[in-house]
Amino acid sequence: MPKIASITDLAALRDRLLSVRSKDAVLITVCGGPGCQATECHNVSAEVRRELDTNGLGEKVRLRVTGCHGFCEQGPIMVIDPANVFYGQVKPADVGEILNRTVIQGEVIDRLLYTDPATKKKVVTEAEIPFYRAQNPTLLSQNRQVDPLSIEDYLAIGGYAGLARVLAGTEPEKVIAEIEASGLRGRGGGGFPTARKWAACRAAHGEEKYVICNADEGDPGAFMDRGILEGNPHAVIEGMLIGAYAIGAEHGYIYVRNEYPIAVVHAREAIRQAMEYGFLGGDILGSGMRFDIDIARGGGAFVCGESTALMASIEGKVGEPRPKDVHTVEHGLWNKPTTLNNVETWANVPSIINNGAAWFSGMGTDSSKGTKILALTGKVRNTGLVEVAFGTTLRTVVEEIGGGASDGKAIKAVQTGGPSGGCLPAYLFDLPVDFDILWEKGSMIGSGGLVVMDEKTCMVDVAKYFLNFLQDESCGKCVPCRIGVDRMLEIVTDITEGRGRPEQIPLLQELGETVAHTALCGLGKTAPNPALSTLRYFSEEYEAHIREASCPAGVCKSLIEYTIDSAHCDGCGACLTSCPQGAIQGEKDRLHTIDREACTKCGICPTVCARNAITVQ
Amino acid sequence: MHQKVTLTIDGANMTVAKGTSVLDAALYYAICIPHLCHLPTLSDIGACRLCIVEHVQNGRSKITASCTLLVQEGMVIRANSERVRTLRRNIAELLVTQAPNSRAIQDIAVRCGVTETRFPFRRDNCVLCGRCVRVCAEHYQARAIGFVGRGKNRRVSYPFAEKPESCVMCRACLNLCPMAVTPCDGPMEEGLEYLCGKCESMTQEPQYSVGDCIRCELGQSFDCTRHR
Repeated sequence: MPKIASITDLAALRDRLLSVRSKDAVLITVCGGPGCQATECHNVSAEVRRELDTNGLGEKVRLRVTGCHGFCEQGPIMVIDPANVFYGQVKPADVGEILNRTVIQGEVIDRLLYTDPATKKKVVTEAEIPFYRAQNPTLLSQNRQVDPLSIEDYLAIGGYAGLARVLAGTEPEKVIAEIEASGLRGRGGGGFPTARKWAACRAAHGEEKYVICNADEGDPGAFMDRGILEGNPHAVIEGMLIGAYAIGAEHGYIYVRNEYPIAVVHAREAIRQAMEYGFLGGDILGSGMRFDIDIARGGGAFVCGESTALMASIEGKVGEPRPKDVHTVEHGLWNKPTTLNNVETWANVPSIINNGAAWFSGMGTDSSKGTKILALTGKVRNTGLVEVAFGTTLRTVVEEIGGGASDGKAIKAVQTGGPSGGCLPAYLFDLPVDFDILWEKGSMIGSGGLVVMDEKTCMVDVAKYFLNFLQDESCGKCVPCRIGVDRMLEIVTDITEGRGRPEQIPLLQELGETVAHTALCGLGKTAPNPALSTLRYFSEEYEAHIREASCPAGVCKSLIEYTIDSAHCDGCGACLTSCPQGAIQGEKDRLHTIDREACTKCGICPTVCARNAITVQ
Repeated sequence: MHQKVTLTIDGANMTVAKGTSVLDAALYYAICIPHLCHLPTLSDIGACRLCIVEHVQNGRSKITASCTLLVQEGMVIRANSERVRTLRRNIAELLVTQAPNSRAIQDIAVRCGVTETRFPFRRDNCVLCGRCVRVCAEHYQARAIGFVGRGKNRRVSYPFAEKPESCVMCRACLNLCPMAVTPCDGPMEEGLEYLCGKCESMTQEPQYSVGDCIRCELGQSFDCTRHR
C-alpha cells in the first residue's frame, strides 16, 4: 500500500473500500475481547475460517474477529449480519451447523440464542437483548465494526476522517475550542477537563512537547482500556494525532502494561499500519505535520498509572510520583511540556471532531458529558463492558443492563472507581453516573470499575481487601500512604479478626482523613476511600464486628461458626465426604455434627448441603 | 539581581527570592514548620509530609507539603492552623510509632504535639526520609545507595545489595541519618517501647509556641534548618 499523500486520496480510498465491502453477502463477527478469549473464542474463529475454506464460502461470507463487544457473560459471542442474529456461548462444534443452517439456509438455531431471564423468551437479534438496549455505545459500537488488526476496517467506518478534517485547515486553537465545547473530561479517574490540559500544554514554553496515552490500567476488575486498545487501537492513535496537532507535539508514547500482551501486539501493529499508510511519520496527509508514536511497556505497578510516576517510568527511572506543584503540562516527560490522557479519553476525540461538540455534549449531565465505559463485575448476572451516557442511574446499570443479582440474593452495594473509589449502598442507586455527584457521595467514577456486592458480602472485609491491595501497591515514598494505609489495614484486620475496639472506629476515620489530605499523589489521597465510604454507609457492620463479635454477612472467619441444624439434616453424608479437614462426624441417616476445633471454616459444606441445613452464625 | 516575591505566611508578609520554597521562606522568617526529609543543601522530595501547610487559593485551602511548593506572588499560606496541626500531629504519631528508637523522631513527635500513641509500636530502623540517598547522589555524585523495593518493602540498599566502588565509606549518609542517635535512655526493649516526651522541658511549653521558631533544642536532633 502506497502512502496516502493527501486528504482527497484518503476519501478516494474510503469510497473504494466501501464499494468493495457492499458486495459481501454475509458477515460473521466473532468477539475476540478479553472475556471471550477466556472462553476460547479463538477456537471458534479458527473453526469458522477452516469451514469457510473447505466449503468454498470464502467469496460470499466474511469472517471478522473483533475486539470486545461487552457482553462477556455470554462469551464466545457470534453475530451474523445482515440479519443481526446473536449467538452466545458458541462452541467450535456448533460452527458447522451455524454455517449450514443460519448462513446458507437462513434459519435460526434455537439452542444458541440468548434467553431473556426476565421474560424467559429467546431473543434472536443483538439489538433486542436487554443488556445492549439501555446502553449508549459510541466507542464499543466501533469495536464491533472493526478488526483491530485491519486499518482498512477502521478507514471504512470513517477512520482518520477527523484527522483529515483537522489537518485540512482547522487551527489548533479551534481544535481545542471544539474539545472544550464538547465538555470532554479525563476518563482515567480524575475527570480533569481535557481541553484545559491541552490549552495549558499548548501555551507552555518549549519547542519539544509530548503526548502520552495512559494504558496502565491497574484497578482490580477493570478492563475498559484493554477493551479499547485491543479492540480499536486506531481510534486511540487518531485521537493522539489530533491532540498532538492541537498542542504542537511531534512525539507520543502509549504506555501499556505488559500484562496486556494482546493490547501491546495490536497497538504495535496499528502503529506499523498507520506508518505504512502515512498517518504517522513525516508530512502526514501532505500537511507537513510530523508525528510518531512509541510503545512503552509497563511492569504492571499500580502506581505507574499515576501520571508523574508513569513519566518517570518511561524515562527509565523508578516509577514513583513526584509532587505536582509543578504541572506536567509544563514540565512533564524529560522535563518537557507533556499532555497525558487515558485510552478512553483519546478514543473519544475522533468522534467529537467527526460528529461535532454539540453531538457529544448532547449526551450526559451538566458537568459530565458524553458516555463512559464501565466494567461491570461482581455478583451481577451480566458481567462485561457497558457503555452508558453520563446521567444514567446506577440502578439502570446494575438492574437493567446487569440483570440484577446473579443468584437471586439482594444486592447490597456497588463499589465504583476501583481501589480509589468507594462503596455506595443500594438505597443510593438512583444516583447518576457522574463525576461530581459520585465524588460528593464519597465515591468516584474513577476509571469505571463497578463491582456489585450482595448481602453475602462483608463490607469490612471489602475495605480490608482494598486496603491490602493499596498497601501492597503503594510506592512507599511518602509516610501517609506507606505507613498510614498500613495502619488502616492493621485496624481493619483487628476488626475482622475479633480484636476490634470501639475507639478504633473514630481512629480509622481520622487516620483516613489524614492520609486523604496529606499523601503525596492522587493514589495516596484516594487510598482511604474504600474504608471511609464503608464507614460512612455501613458503620453498623463495623459496630457489629466490634460490639457483638459477629460478621453479619458471615464472611469473617474469626467471627463465624458453622452449625448443622438438626431440624433439616437428614444425614445424607454429603458434607461429611466433602470436608477437607474431616471435621464433620456422623452416621448415615443420623444427624451430623461439626467439630469446632478441627473446622477451618473453609465454607465448602454449606455449598454441598442439599437441604440448607448448615448455617453460619 | 534576583526577582523577589511577596507572600503571606500565618499573616506575616514576607519578601523572598523567586524560586524559594515556602518551607525555606517560613524558616528564614522564624516561622516553625517541623520537617524531617528536608535538608538545606539537598533537593526536596516531599516524602515525610511533616512540613504540610494550607495553601489558600480562591477561598479554598489545599493541604500540600511546603518543601516542594515554590513561592508565588501574593500567595497565602497557613502553616500552623488547627487543621494543619492536627494532620501534622497524626503524621508524627505514625512516624514515632513506626520507629520509636530514634531521638530525632521522638523529638519531632514532641514538637508536633503528640501526647499519646494510638497504634501499637513497631521497630523500624529506617523511615525512608532519603537524606542518605540524596547526599550520596547530590553532594558526592556517588549514587552508591538508592531505594529498592516498593511499599512496605521499600528500603535503602546498595545496587544489587553489593557495595559498589563508588562507595568510599565517607559516612556522609550516616551523619545525616535521623535514626543514628537513640533516645537519651538508649535503645528501647522490644515490647516496651514508649513515647519518650522528655524533651518537652526543652521547648518551654511547646503547646504555646507551635507557630514560632524558638530555636528549640529539639531541632538539633533532626537537623532543623534553623540550627545549621
